[in-house]
Amino acid sequence: MKLLPWKRDVRRSDTPTAEFESLALPLLPSLFNVAFWLSRDTHDAEDLVQETFLKALRGFGTFERGSNFKAWIFRILRNTFLTSRSGLAAMRTVSLEDELAQNDEFAQGQYPEGAIDRRTPELNLIQMGNREMLQSGMEQLSVPLLEVILLCDVEEMKYKDIALVLNIPIGTVMSRVARARAALRRVIEAQQTSSRRFTHD
Amino acid sequence: MIEHLSDAMLNALADDELSLERLETVQQHLETCQSCTAMALQHSRIKSATAKAGQRYAPSTDFQLRMMGQIRRNSSTPQLSRRPKETSLWPGTRFYGWATACVLLLIIATAPLIQIISKRFESVKPDFPAIVTEALDQHIASLAATAAPQVISSDRHTVKPWFQGKLPFSFNLPENLPPGTSLDGANLTYLHNRPAAQLLYSIGKHRVSVYLRQSSAPGTVARFTVQESGFQVARFSAGAIEGIAVSDVDPSRLADLVGLIIGAQTEIDKPSR
Repeated sequence: MKLLPWKRDVRRSDTPTAEFESLALPLLPSLFNVAFWLSRDTHDAEDLVQETFLKALRGFGTFERGSNFKAWIFRILRNTFLTSRSGLAAMRTVSLEDELAQNDEFAQGQYPEGAIDRRTPELNLIQMGNREMLQSGMEQLSVPLLEVILLCDVEEMKYKDIALVLNIPIGTVMSRVARARAALRRVIEAQQTSSRRFTHD
Repeated sequence: MIEHLSDAMLNALADDELSLERLETVQQHLETCQSCTAMALQHSRIKSATAKAGQRYAPSTDFQLRMMGQIRRNSSTPQLSRRPKETSLWPGTRFYGWATACVLLLIIATAPLIQIISKRFESVKPDFPAIVTEALDQHIASLAATAAPQVISSDRHTVKPWFQGKLPFSFNLPENLPPGTSLDGANLTYLHNRPAAQLLYSIGKHRVSVYLRQSSAPGTVARFTVQESGFQVARFSAGAIEGIAVSDVDPSRLADLVGLIIGAQTEIDKPSR
């Protein structure tokens, strides 16, 4: 089994805390933001981040200097969430088998051209100034789709780093990004349609 | 020549994940395909909008202080103390009193440091380049769009009243434009999630977008002009209004138009004819 970069060698630093602090503290707002999106609760988000820092500090000696610390600590956050009560509850609501089956198709290069809706300019999605509608749409995404949106768009991570965080192949990252954005577009379109119908009524 | 770009390709383009070879192929296609160009711009704008919408929750100052203190306190024994809460995922209030005392001491001792860190967080995503990029993207999108402006008129007395009830502010448009410059129309749009007027001008055959929105801090917007992706982007302010002008026209001609628009704002209190 191939070990992840930060697990390949175990090194101890004489002053790990100062280094850890300089790497981790700037990421605190980002970690908290993602934790809140995933857990949907302030206290759970704080607990999640706190537990993540605890695990990261404990395991900081195994972190390979020069590799991507952000991906490393986000992976810890994500794994911590998945084993928390809210994470387990959220993942139970997702049909992961369907998810993975479709991802395998995408990973083989069978990208769904039909997923592109070239009418979307007419749907005024280009006026994406409605932050509340977008946030509401994101809230309706399943955790596997939401987390890839958060990592890719909000945290601006590269696909290879997202693959490390989620522990999935890059091809699956690509397909999941496509599926997440398509799902978000569908949700927003449904909201817009519903809103128009309400207005007309 | 390749077929229309797939969704995955458009996503990879927006995410800057295409290889150089693939990027060159895609760019060649975009040069000849208006539909894909519009889709690519839209993917980019959706990504940008999602990024902003996703930055929704911020940790409290108290929590940040607590985390900072716990990291430092646990330098020798990496064991963070838990947040004191009965319903915590990790119950444990054994050292609650000591932790509270330490936090209070740390608040006093590290307040200046927190201010520095907060400023550093704020500087990670400054407003300036983001709004310039957003205005530039919108201008390019309007160039690629086949749809007509929301209001089509060369008459400033038609364009300005069209915004009544749509914008939380008012503005003036210059009456006399330089030779070769004309008003084409306008759109209601959003910049950084705030309503703005996108005024469409032509200078010769060059299209110009001038975005006007209410200034959040009047008098603090620095006036400057930068070149971005071959376009001139001029940012300016006039009273309670701030603006951005984007075009690929000669900088001096864009500056002339911007100067007239700034000058027109001094007439804001005069009734329109």
